[in-house]
Amino acid sequence: MNATAKILAAALLAAAAPALAAGDAEVGKKKSTPCQACHGANGMSVSPEFPNLAGQHQEYLMAVLRHYKNGKRKNVIMQGQVKELTERDIADLAAWFSSQQGLNVKY
Amino acid sequence: MHSLRVLACACAAFGALAATAADTGKITIQNRIAQCQGCHGIQGWKTAFPEVYPVPKLGGQNRAYIIAALKAYKSGERDFATMRAIAADLSDKDMEEVAAYYGAPAPAQTASAAPAAQPAPAPAAPATVPAPTAGSGGKASGAKR
Repeated sequence: MNATAKILAAALLAAAAPALAAGDAEVGKKKSTPCQACHGANGMSVSPEFPNLAGQHQEYLMAVLRHYKNGKRKNVIMQGQVKELTERDIADLAAWFSSQQGLNVKY
Repeated sequence: MHSLRVLACACAAFGALAATAADTGKITIQNRIAQCQGCHGIQGWKTAFPEVYPVPKLGGQNRAYIIAALKAYKSGERDFATMRAIAADLSDKDMEEVAAYYGAPAPAQTASAAPAAQPAPAPAAPATVPAPTAGSGGKASGAKR
């Protein structure tokens, strides 16, 4: 591997890092199957008791999932769901639901 | 001309009513919603402490969920200092009215029939039902889900 290739590889890694943090909506869609039972395939919940997720801020969804995971926020159903989620899963799921159309900033 | 005079009278009466409300210091639902808007109505607004993330979008959220969330803040079951402080001061009726405001579809999506578009069976009583008296203590009857 020559110097140019090494530089190129480093540049690619650097470019990929933010993408990892941002999450991949398409991957999140595939991972969202268990979520859909309550929150709907389109992110609009099947019951008014559950929150709609479609279009919610990605960073908010990530914060909430982490809160369920670390116990800051308590909900029997959600705590069971998030137990096995990695940071990558959280980013992907949040990217997927935030990319849907639904919620809005209402003034 | 007559109708104009009636309109003028109506406006004057409304103005008088509004002035009365202001004079008595009564907190209206408009005041409550204005309080929500201070954070939730601003595009890009974020929490400041202890973590930084965007405040959630509320427009189009399920009414029953909004009410449940407010009750969970009020009871202390859900933890966020700002929301606990705000929810502590809300009656069940206030919560229903706030939820009706945000739960209704955004004006851009529906010009008319706004309440009909959002199914609101919910355990919560409609806003027209006489609400339990405000300030009847922190443990509202519906605090447990």
